[in-house]
Amino acid sequence: MKYVLKKLLSCIITLFIVSFLVFAAFALIPGDPALSKLGTNATQAALDAMRHKMGLDRPFLVRYFTWLFDAVRGNFGNSYSYSMPVASLILDKIPITLTLMVYSMILMVVISVPAGVYASYKEDTPVDRVIQIANQIVMAIPPFFSGILITLFFGIVLKLFTPGGFVSLNANPLKFLGFMFFPALAVALPKSAMVFNLLYTSLNGEKKKDYVRTAYSRGNRSKTVFFSHMLKNASIPTITFLGMAFADMIAGSIIIEQVFGIPGLGRILLTSIQNRDYPVVTGIIMLIAVTVIISNMIVDIIYKIVDPRVDA
Amino acid sequence: MSKLLHVEDLNIEFHDHLIPETVVYDFDLDMEPGEIVGLVGESGSGKSMSALAVAGLLSRHDMKKRGVIEFEGKNILSCSRSELRELQGDEICMIFQEPLTSLNPVKKIGWQVEEGLKIHTDMSPEERKKRAIKALEDVEIEDAQRVYDSYPHELSGGMRQRVMIAAATIGNPKLLIADEPTTALDVTVQSQIVELMKKINREKKTAILFISHDLSLVSALCERVLVMKGGYVVESGSVKEIFESPKEEYTRKLIDAIPKCGSTEDLVENGEPLAGMKDINVSFIKRKGKNKEKVHVLKDISLDIYEGEILGLVGESGCGKSTLAKTLLGLIKPDTGHVSAKFPNTQMIFQDPYGSLNPSKTVGFIMEEPLRNLTDKTPEERYALSKEMIEKVGLSEEFLQRYPSELSGGQRQRVCIATALMLGPKLIIADEPVSALDVTIQAEVLKLMMKLHMEMGISFLFISHDLRVVHQMCDRIMVMKDGEIVESGDRVKIYENPSHPYTKELLKSAGLGPGGVK
Amino acid sequence: MRSKKRDFNFILGICLLAITLIPAFVGLFWTPYDPEKMDYSMKLAGISIRHIYGCDNFGRDVFSRIMSGSGITLLIAVGTVLFGSILGTVIGCFTGYYGGLIDECLMRINDVALAFPSLLLALVIVSLMGTGKYQVMLALGLAFIPSYARIVRGEYLRIKNLDYVKAAKLAGASDMRIMFVHILPNTKTVLFSSVLIGFNNAILAEAGLSFLGIGVQPPDASLGRMLSEAQAYMFTNPSYVLFTGCTIVMLILGFSLLSKAKRWQ
Repeated sequence: MKYVLKKLLSCIITLFIVSFLVFAAFALIPGDPALSKLGTNATQAALDAMRHKMGLDRPFLVRYFTWLFDAVRGNFGNSYSYSMPVASLILDKIPITLTLMVYSMILMVVISVPAGVYASYKEDTPVDRVIQIANQIVMAIPPFFSGILITLFFGIVLKLFTPGGFVSLNANPLKFLGFMFFPALAVALPKSAMVFNLLYTSLNGEKKKDYVRTAYSRGNRSKTVFFSHMLKNASIPTITFLGMAFADMIAGSIIIEQVFGIPGLGRILLTSIQNRDYPVVTGIIMLIAVTVIISNMIVDIIYKIVDPRVDA
Repeated sequence: MSKLLHVEDLNIEFHDHLIPETVVYDFDLDMEPGEIVGLVGESGSGKSMSALAVAGLLSRHDMKKRGVIEFEGKNILSCSRSELRELQGDEICMIFQEPLTSLNPVKKIGWQVEEGLKIHTDMSPEERKKRAIKALEDVEIEDAQRVYDSYPHELSGGMRQRVMIAAATIGNPKLLIADEPTTALDVTVQSQIVELMKKINREKKTAILFISHDLSLVSALCERVLVMKGGYVVESGSVKEIFESPKEEYTRKLIDAIPKCGSTEDLVENGEPLAGMKDINVSFIKRKGKNKEKVHVLKDISLDIYEGEILGLVGESGCGKSTLAKTLLGLIKPDTGHVSAKFPNTQMIFQDPYGSLNPSKTVGFIMEEPLRNLTDKTPEERYALSKEMIEKVGLSEEFLQRYPSELSGGQRQRVCIATALMLGPKLIIADEPVSALDVTIQAEVLKLMMKLHMEMGISFLFISHDLRVVHQMCDRIMVMKDGEIVESGDRVKIYENPSHPYTKELLKSAGLGPGGVK
Repeated sequence: MRSKKRDFNFILGICLLAITLIPAFVGLFWTPYDPEKMDYSMKLAGISIRHIYGCDNFGRDVFSRIMSGSGITLLIAVGTVLFGSILGTVIGCFTGYYGGLIDECLMRINDVALAFPSLLLALVIVSLMGTGKYQVMLALGLAFIPSYARIVRGEYLRIKNLDYVKAAKLAGASDMRIMFVHILPNTKTVLFSSVLIGFNNAILAEAGLSFLGIGVQPPDASLGRMLSEAQAYMFTNPSYVLFTGCTIVMLILGFSLLSKAKRWQ
């Protein structure tokens, strides 16, 4: 419990740093938000009034803390281009992107862990080699290309889903989940190749460790040595990677949303970047930061449970 | 009496390269029940391979084994894996050199000690736990209950090896194979483990195959010895025979390499103090999570090293010996106190010859480095000097072009010594200079250091955990424990008439002591 | 003694890279057609002898475009890796060797930056600096600094405690000399493999950014940009999308096989 609290505290500090960096980055870029809002032929007085209204004439730190306190209460300001609160804009899209990520995460674990364990168990057999080659190729496919391939194969050849035919969650939950399977697969495939690779190498690394020899010297079956001794040790580095993979999946989702035409967070982020709609961009980035930091914290806690050597 | 173990013409070959490589040739061994046999050899002699083959643990597919290994009449080499499993952990048990890595880091001690019982018996969990606690108590672990619920990383090295022994002997095996079980441990702990193995042999009538590079350790424990070299058994016989009338040249060399104590030469008269430290205190801040802990490594150390002497500094790992050396050289700043060492008149030789030479530089570059940085000698002068020094340590000029990875451990240590000589130092601090080397190489390097001492009048601060080496080399000795110098004096006084109990304990574990100098 | 097994990773990696890199290199000087020349009569033409990879929606020769597109992709990858690895190495050297408060602060920021997917980091930077090939290079280079800094710092932390560094100190070497003459050459194996992997990540990230339309801008064609254009026509002319995508896959596969080759180990 004390460990969790300690981790939580360090997370809050990290978030604080991140929020400062993000705010500073967007506050210090050249360009005047008031000018872009009013257009180039606005009068100086109107510009000043607008700056005052937007709070741009106040000192930097004051602006930062105002923004921070608002952000903590869920208020990220108003979008320039959508002219609605950033929070409600984001909130609408969270279920879609979150579904995609959780879906991919599940698929990733379901694909990579059994494959890694099986291939390592059958090391140096033809099965292992086939899995290895497949893994090498899958790892080299960028997520957007895997999305295109999946669309071509499952959508056009097998006709399992309609490309571009996104169904919203409210309209038909079942169809929504059915459609989301394919983008989730596209996000999950390259990542599962990485998880597979990591699990496989660490399992094979464990095989050479002294304690495995000890376990054999006690008359264990190879199966027992593998599953009861090695698997837990080998899973420790894999767990760390799962946390990183979850963060990476955010990036993967943004791209895959484009391939499959899903109106999620990624699409808003991209249009806002192109429109220089900074309140939306900062809002989404902060949301991603929170997700990344929380997922890292969860990984640290799981780590502590699995590995007794981690100091509290 | 029927034989417990019969090994005949065992050959082991590796097939993972184009040319098969034989690591063990025609290995023969017979063991009676309850006997202790020693297997001695330097690294790469094939002793561990033979032992692993006997335990049925060499099952790599790229390896070929020929010959006979019979355990109570059953041929281990032709056994199926499931037949082997019946024996392993029940009749034949094994303990290994590195107790930390040999225990599974994520399983509790109790679980690992009981594992043999779980596999080979159908005892209830309660009964197993009772047996495990008993086994832990048998290996003289006092708070067995607490250890039972601990993880390996929470125990000390000696404790872990006790746990390994408890796990190996819980099922009362007929044969215990111990592969260098004391090499990774401190001297005082070493002798405790050897005592423990004697006790197990006495009480449980377990036969022990004891593998070691340390002939003197083997002689203290075993009745019979096999000496191995380059994959061959070069000599075998009773300990007495081997020690008193070794037939083979190599065996004689091994015995000679055991540092002999009680040399009769006179002590050197002390000259001027070359270096010294006064009232030195050093502490480190150790981080454990967020808690900072101040560890006092050196406490009020004062010492002087005089011209022309070899001062020995003895202590076990973690007592602060190396910190003292680094403080003396100015690599660590002391909290309080005063150091007087004249750099570059003082140089250092490190313990691990593999870590102390930069792998990306040639020997010549490394040797010339001090001249390049501290003098304005021309490249020709630098080369001439490094040639002179490399020849002085018994290597030839061509070594200057080689990279450290092309050298053996002994050659590396010679290069380190040559590098230390480059600036013409008065004092060389040698931090465990031979403990990473094989025994015969050890003897050669020590001889070289003695030669430099005699010929060039270089003083040494000789740091070691090995009391025999120190006795052979040093004029004056200091004994260190937990950051303090507990006793100091000339060699005769320390070895013949130790006053501090810790010194006595050290001497006893090394098989030395007042009047008992072998 | 030579190992029995052949170094398949190495051979296959070299072959794949030859298939992709030679056309890219030739493409710098010569392409079969002008990659920008539009010919509406050939719009979305399939595979033929004249256009071995077919044509795109403007009737431009896909093979010529892939040749020049891989060139730009590789140029960005090289720029990114050089920028990221040199700055990362310098930061890693100093923080790893000296430690202290600056190290703590930088590593804290580094950890946060590392936790972010590098593509997202690049997204943020691009959104601050605008799009275009040099901006992408800079953005990705900045985004890659943390990973190099961490790797190099780790190596320095490990090596600075080794005895040969102490020996160098005793030989009178200055801190700078120790850092760059004694330690740096010993990080080469680790740096080499992370540069190879970094190459892959750079290709992937550039393709990702350009695919999203915020990377390389027209008239420059990079592989990612071509793929996003091709995506719209994947139902009518799948060969366009497949050839472009497969070029990326072969590049990445080539580098990753090469980084796994036995001869580096």
